[in-house]
Amino acid sequence: MKAVKAIIPGTILEILVKKGDKVTHDKPVLILEAMKMNNRIQAEYDGKVKKIYVKVGDRVPKNFVMMEIE
Amino acid sequence: MGENDKTPELIKRRLDAQKGGGDQAIQKQVAMGKLTARERITSLLDNESFHEYDLFVEHDAREFGMDRKILAGDGVVIGTGTMYGSPVCVFAQDFTVAGGSLGLMHARKITKIMDHALKMRVPLIGINDSGGARIQEGVNSLAGYGEIFFRNTQASGVIPQISVILGPCAGGAVYSPALTDFVFVVDKISKMFITGPSVIKTVLGEEITMEELGGARVHSEITGTAHFFANTEAECFEQIKKLCTFIPWNNTQKAKVFPAKPPKKKYNIEKIVPLDPREPYDMKDMLKALVDDSDFLEVQEMWAKNIIIGFGRIDGETVGFVANQPNYLAGVLDVDSSDKAARFIRYCDAFNIPVVTLVDLPGYLPGADQEHAGVIRHGAKILYAYSEATVPKITVIFRKAYGGGYIAMNSRHLNADFVFAWPNAEIAVMGPEGAANIIFRKEIMEADDPDKVRAEKVELYKQKFANPYVAAAKGYVDAVIEPEETRDHLLRALEISENKVAIGPKKKHGIPPF
Repeated sequence: MKAVKAIIPGTILEILVKKGDKVTHDKPVLILEAMKMNNRIQAEYDGKVKKIYVKVGDRVPKNFVMMEIE
Repeated sequence: MGENDKTPELIKRRLDAQKGGGDQAIQKQVAMGKLTARERITSLLDNESFHEYDLFVEHDAREFGMDRKILAGDGVVIGTGTMYGSPVCVFAQDFTVAGGSLGLMHARKITKIMDHALKMRVPLIGINDSGGARIQEGVNSLAGYGEIFFRNTQASGVIPQISVILGPCAGGAVYSPALTDFVFVVDKISKMFITGPSVIKTVLGEEITMEELGGARVHSEITGTAHFFANTEAECFEQIKKLCTFIPWNNTQKAKVFPAKPPKKKYNIEKIVPLDPREPYDMKDMLKALVDDSDFLEVQEMWAKNIIIGFGRIDGETVGFVANQPNYLAGVLDVDSSDKAARFIRYCDAFNIPVVTLVDLPGYLPGADQEHAGVIRHGAKILYAYSEATVPKITVIFRKAYGGGYIAMNSRHLNADFVFAWPNAEIAVMGPEGAANIIFRKEIMEADDPDKVRAEKVELYKQKFANPYVAAAKGYVDAVIEPEETRDHLLRALEISENKVAIGPKKKHGIPPF
């Protein structure tokens, strides 16, 4: 599974893509607020957004699958 | 010379030995995308500079039919040559000869060239491509590994030691590279592991490929064993040559000085750091805005990316940089980043390379997994390395420097020589939110509108403490500087530190938190 995981526990501040959007591995797909920083989380894979598992305001633990790319 | 001339015999013997494992074995090597041992050496060294020794060495193993086997050069090529006109010692295992397996004489050749490198105080470059111990030689091959490890350790911090993994490097063989300063790997060619897939399958029943177990990516991204990753052997040799422009030839020398060059104009230092402390940015842009010609050589680029280490020049002289990366994990210190930075600081200190530390971090990463992974023990390494280092140590704080992270990143308190801060720096025991919640807990709890009071107190704390002037008032920061003056300040600080003398108490050696 091409999963976008939380590299650090935090809060979803903004989701920058929607289901079906084309993304590239270096493109930020969401902003995860953690450690006093609005961390831009990259897609890590080239492809299309298959599913988004989080919404703004959600708190996610480390390694939580936030999004799936296909 | 007449009929007694034995030169033709020499030439014939030489040609025979240089064939290594013969045409078929060489073809197999080429088919794997690999060069031969001698081709590798000549690609790395100055043209025509290589002189081979011990070409006619033979093994004297007798058991298991070994007495009938001739192994050219016993599977390893050793010699001397030059890089940029300066002498180096080199060995390259020859996979075409008995799989580059390490027997007693093979090891003796390697230890001979290692002894030579250490005596002559020149770098040692080892090219590894070996199936492992030569089983037929039993404990003699183990002896060989041990004698190599001993020499790696003796030479550590005296001469540069570079390991190039261009094939398998398994079992005991992995520990020689691990004891050296820099390990170079090539995608799909390098394989390093203690026990291979077949043993893992037998003992644990787990199936894993060599690539997944110990390929170049694994060691570059996950384990941190490798320092430089290349896609091809040719790219790998270029990386080694590049590294060699930044480092001195031994621990009594300084790195070669190059003509000074300004950073490239496209890296505008004033535009790199966002004013909002919550906004990330790429610290690599900052490094490129500070170093000569924006030429920064990153070490361990793919591992523990929350800290950046590497070499650049300021006014022609080599500097080692340690910098937090706000773009990855908010630039926190954790187990791996502490380990990575600490070892690099010790490298720079051993080889007379000044260390410049660029600071923007929220602190150490909290969490049970970090605590249980030993963040106390590993985090202590960076404190130890900075405190112990006697080379010039200069720090620039751009934005956040909170708590333990502030202390760890070459603060005045660990004996930094110069500490500079930008006007937007926030040097404090912790972030304003956390601090306000603790200091004003009672007032916030008892307020009619706790959120409003909390916001007021956070603002109050920010005004009072989230700035560089509290630290500057105590002399912890030497100067608050304008961003565009940063390179000039570094340059002046490095100039005045040129003849720095710092001698700690006499001791055999310290006991760092390994």
